[in-house]
Amino acid sequence: MEADGAGSDVEREDESVIELLRDRFRLLTISIAEAQAKRNDLEISLPIAACIADLAFKYTEQLAKDLELFAQHASRKSINMEDVILSAHRNEHLATSLRSFGTDLKSKEAQSERKRKKPSRKEDKATTSVVHIPDN
Amino acid sequence: MEDANTFDPDLVHAIFKLVWNRRALERERNEGADALDIQVGAGASKKNRPTYANANALKLSCELLRIFITEAVQRAATIAEAEGVSKIEATHLERILPQLLLDF
Repeated sequence: MEADGAGSDVEREDESVIELLRDRFRLLTISIAEAQAKRNDLEISLPIAACIADLAFKYTEQLAKDLELFAQHASRKSINMEDVILSAHRNEHLATSLRSFGTDLKSKEAQSERKRKKPSRKEDKATTSVVHIPDN
Repeated sequence: MEDANTFDPDLVHAIFKLVWNRRALERERNEGADALDIQVGAGASKKNRPTYANANALKLSCELLRIFITEAVQRAATIAEAEGVSKIEATHLERILPQLLLDF
């Protein structure tokens, strides 16, 4: 009785959060869809763009569920890139293009880490030569 | 050409978290229903903690969603062009929908 009341309040909050997310999602989707249509010198009718947006939103919810299941299946608590690539298994081209995107991301990360390490070493050398800093 | 056409990872993360928290709550309720088994106690608390997402996985998911929308529009555009129309309408979307859903 009381527990049910609290539960439905949480659900109502959830509903408004979902609506907000859905609206933001719709705006982003419509801008991507319109840009894509322009590249073909075409226009896209607004209700159709909204339709694609809602479809993509449902797909995202389904994706979240699938990713969670994959991670759980691998006894993990967090989603990683392999899970996302696995969720694209139905289409070979899709999986391949995601995999190469993922490899790019990893290599960019590795590069930026190396850049971070190099300057910090140079800074250390510079400061120790000028000022005597006690070792930590 | 504007290249600001990627999804916001935070938005995608927010949607994921919403779904995961909802499922974690459901699991709690389900386990509350059959809370007779004491052995399940230790395992239950682990399962109820919601899932997290890796930063790269989020970026990859954004890319996946962007491809989904791009594919949908591109395929519908092909049909619209074949018809010689300059605007993508419902009939074009209808025809590509089954294959799109099968591919994703």
